[in-house]
Amino acid sequence: MADMPAWLAVTLIAALVAVATATGVLWRVRAGRVRIADPESVVTAALLGADAQLGERATLLQFSTEFCARCPGTHRVLAAAARDEDGVEHVDVDLTHRPDLARRFKVLQTPTVLLLDAGGAVRGRVGGAPRPAELRAALTAILNGADDVRTA
Amino acid sequence: MSAQPDRGIDPRGPRFAAGITAVLLLAEVFLALIGARTAATILLAGLAALFAWGAFAGVRRHPFGVVFRRLVRPRLSPPAELEDAAPPTFAQGVGLLVTGVGLVLALVGVPLALELAGAAAFVAAFLNSAFGYCLGCQLYLLLVRAGLIRRAPVAVGP
Repeated sequence: MADMPAWLAVTLIAALVAVATATGVLWRVRAGRVRIADPESVVTAALLGADAQLGERATLLQFSTEFCARCPGTHRVLAAAARDEDGVEHVDVDLTHRPDLARRFKVLQTPTVLLLDAGGAVRGRVGGAPRPAELRAALTAILNGADDVRTA
Repeated sequence: MSAQPDRGIDPRGPRFAAGITAVLLLAEVFLALIGARTAATILLAGLAALFAWGAFAGVRRHPFGVVFRRLVRPRLSPPAELEDAAPPTFAQGVGLLVTGVGLVLALVGVPLALELAGAAAFVAAFLNSAFGYCLGCQLYLLLVRAGLIRRAPVAVGP
């Protein structure tokens, strides 16, 4: 390729930084929000494995891997939320051991959190580290039997 | 089972290092664009060596990580929480792969290899540094989904 003048190179570099910044802002805006999931899809304890126990009223199902910067922090947030409510369980699944679950629930990023109601129906879904206040509001909505778990 | 770190690193360390790396990668792309190909090649080789250092010796021993611990961290408040060192170490391996492939392609004369490898690595390093986005984590999950990384099933628990 022919050498380009410095001003053109600087323009291209600026465009590269701008595109990367726009990508990052878009990701930040969308990450961690509670979205409506398909309630037809139901999770059972048997699907997760012998030791898994779903909550009587709701379950926070976390999908993690070992190579996941935000998974340990998310684990703490969800474990605390489950502790504060009766009948709510937190289950953390390492997808390295269960790639079938990653495919079944179309998990494209870790952590991904599924919010299950008393019957195991997937009521909400969070891609990325959940925003704690929004997650607790969605959990409260499930516990109160609300139709829509979104608060925002 | 659950990914609780027994020992952690300050998560701002890898992001600080990624920031320096991103600036150097931009400089490499600029040099390649204006035709200073020898300088760009040497810079990319140096960056690939740094990625290799981080990937094989671990991010704690990476030079930029040492700079962060010695000079930057003492001036900051303690981190809100520590993170596992494994994800950023894996990300160093991804950086090594991208810059290494770019370097080899450039050395055998593939046009635009210096520019494209530098730009791709820049985007990953920049997103990590400025936004905390972990490309290595995403790639790891895709490898798991593709069945390329697999471990024996174990029972899941809280």
